[in-house]
Amino acid sequence: MEALERLYFRYFPEKILGEVLTKRWSDNAVPVFATLLVIGYFLFQNPHFFTFSSMVETSRQLSEFSLVVVAMGIVLLAGGLDLSVGSVFALANITALICMNLLGWPVWASVLATLTVGGLCGAINGFLIGYLRIRAFLTTLVTLIIIRSIVDIIILRYAVQISAGFPESDLWFFLGEGSILGMPVSFLVAVIVVGLWHVVLTRARAGWHISAVGGGRRSAYNAGLDVKFTVFMTYVWSSLLASLAGLFFAARLNSAGSDTGVGLEIAALTAAVLGGNSLGGGRGSVMKSVLGAIVVLVLTDSMVRVGISGGISSMILGIILLLVVAIDVRWLKNRHKILNKVYVSPAYFRLADLPETDAGSGSPYALNDRLKDVTLIGRGEIEGPEDVIFDRSDNLYCPNRHGDIIRFLAPDYKRWEVFAHIGGHPLGMAFDAAENLNVCIGGMGLYRISPDRTVSKLTDETKRTLLSVIDDSRLKLADDLDIAPDGRIFFSEATIRYDMHDWATDALESRGNGRLICYDPRDGSTQTILRDLQFPNGVCMAGDGQSFLFAETWGCRINRYWFDGPKKGTCEPVIGNLPGYPDNINRASDGNFWVALVGMRTPALDLMLRMPSVRKRMAKRVAQDEWLFPNINTGCVLKFGQTGEILESYWDLGGKNHPMVTSMREHKGYLYLGGLYNDRIGRLKLPNADPLWTSQTFYWGDKP
Amino acid sequence: MKGVLRSIVQRLTGGSGEYSITVPVMDGALKPNNYLDRLPAVGALEEPDNLVSDGVTAYLTSGPTLYRVDQLGAMTATARETASVTCLALSPSGALAIGLATGGLRILGGRHDGKVFGIDDRARIGAPTAAVFADDDTLIVCNGSAVNPATEWRRDLLGLGRTGCVVKVDLAGGAASTIADRLAWPSGVSLAGGGAVVVSEAWRHQLINLRLDGTAGRVTLADLPAYPGRIAAAAGGGYWLSLFAVRSQLQEFVLREPRYRREMMASIDPKYWIAPSLSSGKSFKEPLQAGGVIWLGIHNPWAPTRSYGLVARLDEQLQPVWSAHSRADGERHGITSVAELAGRALVTARGSNELLAMDHAELEEPLDLHIQAEAAR
Repeated sequence: MEALERLYFRYFPEKILGEVLTKRWSDNAVPVFATLLVIGYFLFQNPHFFTFSSMVETSRQLSEFSLVVVAMGIVLLAGGLDLSVGSVFALANITALICMNLLGWPVWASVLATLTVGGLCGAINGFLIGYLRIRAFLTTLVTLIIIRSIVDIIILRYAVQISAGFPESDLWFFLGEGSILGMPVSFLVAVIVVGLWHVVLTRARAGWHISAVGGGRRSAYNAGLDVKFTVFMTYVWSSLLASLAGLFFAARLNSAGSDTGVGLEIAALTAAVLGGNSLGGGRGSVMKSVLGAIVVLVLTDSMVRVGISGGISSMILGIILLLVVAIDVRWLKNRHKILNKVYVSPAYFRLADLPETDAGSGSPYALNDRLKDVTLIGRGEIEGPEDVIFDRSDNLYCPNRHGDIIRFLAPDYKRWEVFAHIGGHPLGMAFDAAENLNVCIGGMGLYRISPDRTVSKLTDETKRTLLSVIDDSRLKLADDLDIAPDGRIFFSEATIRYDMHDWATDALESRGNGRLICYDPRDGSTQTILRDLQFPNGVCMAGDGQSFLFAETWGCRINRYWFDGPKKGTCEPVIGNLPGYPDNINRASDGNFWVALVGMRTPALDLMLRMPSVRKRMAKRVAQDEWLFPNINTGCVLKFGQTGEILESYWDLGGKNHPMVTSMREHKGYLYLGGLYNDRIGRLKLPNADPLWTSQTFYWGDKP
Repeated sequence: MKGVLRSIVQRLTGGSGEYSITVPVMDGALKPNNYLDRLPAVGALEEPDNLVSDGVTAYLTSGPTLYRVDQLGAMTATARETASVTCLALSPSGALAIGLATGGLRILGGRHDGKVFGIDDRARIGAPTAAVFADDDTLIVCNGSAVNPATEWRRDLLGLGRTGCVVKVDLAGGAASTIADRLAWPSGVSLAGGGAVVVSEAWRHQLINLRLDGTAGRVTLADLPAYPGRIAAAAGGGYWLSLFAVRSQLQEFVLREPRYRREMMASIDPKYWIAPSLSSGKSFKEPLQAGGVIWLGIHNPWAPTRSYGLVARLDEQLQPVWSAHSRADGERHGITSVAELAGRALVTARGSNELLAMDHAELEEPLDLHIQAEAAR
């Protein structure tokens, strides 16, 4: 059973499903599937359904229709609704015909006049909805009726004259019937307009403002956006696009029929929502609108061709609209729930038996009380000092969860100041030869603070992994670093699948989600050097100038990686099967290393790691606060030698002073302790340590 | 067939009915407070377990030792049994019935002094968890399980134990008759008047009313958010119900994961199981849940926890009126019994090894029930 489970969770790509759901394009999956299904069905019915000439004709209709749907999509994206697109379409049609047939204006003037009339209609909608805050549904319903009546009045009076006149313009004819390289003109124009809108909505400020307003009106306002103007403009653009479509319609058919554009708004709305644009606003794209347009058009066209009468086909469209609206609402409401259920994707992981830790057991890990006499620095004043480090003047630096680097001033560390504010959650720190403080920042990347407090970004991205679904080029959780003698910075990214605030959830996966990265300041390059590590952490140079030690937190082991020399590129385990989860590693004055155990293994979790299916079900069914977790309420500090033998352990039995230890730094005979969830720094006198030793002079030598 | 179908539907629809892992929230009369943490301790002793009282004298068990508690709360050891005492009952005339971890009960004092019951194979009471005298000659005993001894209650819970029973013993004749069986760890019993007893059925999280003549019982209080334990009649009417541990979603989940449960019971020390407990935080090997992570020195009171302190004051109809709590950040966990002595209620907190005294013993909610610890100081 266990072997079966291991095989399944190793080879079945369940993780990808969760990752796909995090993508915005996963909303498109349903409409794309529907498109293929509809087209496939009619092809199956009749293989000659789609001939070349019918395709060309369809593409002309499609270009007009998709312009209207895109218009609807833009309004929906901003959280509105435009029912007047059908009437505006008809008004544009009639305006263009009057200008061309009746007044005999040149084509450019007619086009301009038509678009102006359309824009004006949109401006009225936009003014009423954007500035007077009248409901979009009511307003556009009224403008739909009013504009429609205007069209009817015009038709009543001028229909005969319009159909009598015939424009003597090749350009007009070219607009309606012509083609370039076999493609209808209107189709090409539509492609260009759609392409432009795609760029605007995804890349341009104006487009982002539209999504922002639709996503959250109040937040957009608070962020300083001109909400009213943005809403106003969406209606103007909507009507402009609808009148552009009307113009093509006029040029193509030259007919002043009274049923032009009737029911177009429902068809467009159906297409927009079917494509995946959310009725609630904030979610949508041009491509979604176009997809929806294709499905609806193919559907209506095909229904006409197989002989379904107009009434029934309208009814079918209506039912589809109702269905997709229902799906849209349910999907939006439950998407994050599904995501929550499937995102955590556990892997099989079997740890060796838990080593003995009982007091008096003679084990190197045996419990003791040596951290009891810790004195505290900054208790209750700092939040989340993950790491501690000292400069050459003995000042103490630690990060906090607000994104600051705090400096406690030597010699008594009673006074402190904000040394620099960066943002994110600063974690591991290291000084380089030039006294710059290099910091790994969860959520941001690798940063450098010079002695004069200038903050500069070193790197925040590496190469994206081939075929990865989630974009792993950005550094999500840079964790700890150390600097090689030649200046190269080696740092770890603990996990690419979780953010800072739920880093410990990664333990439930126990999959290799992390990686080691090298930043080379000589050419500014960033390179991933090792992947698929279980929460890599605690990078520390081994002292030979060719290798460094790093911890794999959830793997409960410490490894050594050679970046230079004869063993370049190899990675070997140094200590396996620790009784807890190793975090930062630092040098000790006697040539050995300190390692902090951020938490301890519990037999119940160790067992569950061997049953990924149980963890998967737990993540699905049990509330997050109730999940079985690695025990990060207790920690300890270990000292180990070059070959990995455990020399000493320091425990705090009651867990009163230091519920959690994530790092420690030896400095002038004292050991300083940091903890990610602590509100204090601990200071412990080391009995036999060199009282003059500092990591800084030991590694970089005396100050030049 | 219908049952099988329903079970399949319940399993497939994301877990409803028997497959649901939902735990009722503590609300209404069970709204959390820190009342237990604010009570004064009148005594400290290892694992205080069953406290019984006739209003004048109280007896208390701790391991194999039996103590007498006087009205000031002073304890004197009066007897020492051969095994841990798992339950205690006091008859109207002052005789004691003592249940043992090795099974069976022994009578101390009174006219049946020295008699031993429930040790022969035919009518074995292997896990006496609670007992009460109906009269001087009749003893009602809860036998938690037919398979596990009383001290192995965790194993019984994780083994989905449904083998408990309530037995009526005629002390004079020695005859024992079963009032109800196939119970899920009956763990508390009290006389309910009218020839009936009320029994707490821990693993089904409910109180049931059983008639002594063996006719069908009924559920009087269901869907408790914690595992109910011993029940004692209160002097001012109604009852005291001690609930020895809380339920949790994770626990309910594990109960529905047979393979994990089996492996855990086979390979892990019971102290470190995912199981309710009478005290917690003693070792870092105990399982921790996400909400229980200490953050900036704060252990959240609402955090999911293995152990909890809870006493509920029930009215005559067995409905809770108010309750005293010790939450995840408290210490007074694992409340095993309550008894009234000289106008105040004594509470055994096995998690903190203390005997607590509660001056307010009335049915009405105490006025300071919901104030914060800081304000109380």
